[in-house]
Amino acid sequence: MEESPLHPFELHNFIPISVGGFDISINKAVIMMWIVVGLISILMIMAGSARRLVPGKLQSLAEMLVDFIRGIILDTMGKDGMKFFPLIATLFLFILFCNLIGLIPGSYTVTSQIVVTAVFACTVYALSLVMGFVLHGGKFLGILVPPGTPAWLLPLMIPIELISQLARPISLAVRLFANMTAGHVILGVLFGLAVSGGLLIGWLPFAFTIAMNGLEVGIAFIQAYIFTVLTCVYLGDAFHLHGHEEHAH
Amino acid sequence: MPQPQDPFYAGLGQAVRIGTELLAALVVGGGLGWAIDTYLLGSSPWLLVLGLVLGAAAGVRNAYRMAQRWPK
Repeated sequence: MEESPLHPFELHNFIPISVGGFDISINKAVIMMWIVVGLISILMIMAGSARRLVPGKLQSLAEMLVDFIRGIILDTMGKDGMKFFPLIATLFLFILFCNLIGLIPGSYTVTSQIVVTAVFACTVYALSLVMGFVLHGGKFLGILVPPGTPAWLLPLMIPIELISQLARPISLAVRLFANMTAGHVILGVLFGLAVSGGLLIGWLPFAFTIAMNGLEVGIAFIQAYIFTVLTCVYLGDAFHLHGHEEHAH
Repeated sequence: MPQPQDPFYAGLGQAVRIGTELLAALVVGGGLGWAIDTYLLGSSPWLLVLGLVLGAAAGVRNAYRMAQRWPK
């Protein structure tokens, strides 16, 4: 019973593989990712194969998901953003399914590893930078200068904007990782209390575990949603430089 | 399934974002200042202080920018 609440996050290699000094062993997280990818593929292929005008249960679930993602893109990036639909839909579905599957007792939450979320965040941010420079060239550096800045403020504004840009991938990665890890630590602690409490008092933390699990389902959804919205916002910023900003005046 | 237009979910999403936004900018600013202090100039601790101030400003700026996009 004396188990650290962080114990579930430790990874043990099932099949140790090492290529040129890099550790690419198969562990629990890798297998969970395969399961998630397989699950999404099967779900989407099965849902898409019927192509009925009046959708069945599975097809309407898939249509709802696709429509939801389309709504996010149209809200944040406008019509141009639909070019990124495959990327954004993949990200959203993968993160959502990872979050949700992790809530099944005994499974593993891949998004509670900061490596995974950091790779997603850095990929998205690098893509937005590359796209910005390709579309706008040197003018893209203007993202560091908010419109309407007087010249004497430039030495102050450029470092501030630089830091706020650099903070984007970090806040993106840390938010998802921290929410997932914290939720599972709380669940672990509560369940530990339930087990060590015995029948007399243990039902109380056990009831809380169930309630928290319900809350975590909501958090799993909201975190996937936030990650997707921010991806769209960052890509949209690179797309239309200073487009949406400073309209409030 | 919640819709993105649903004000409850949109508001909840915004609220969860704002804290990390403030913190991340502060960490980046302080981290940059500290790294330049320690490895490049040896001017500890002045750039760390400056970095923290700039980071705090960047965090507030990010939060402000977020509030401009607030769904009305």
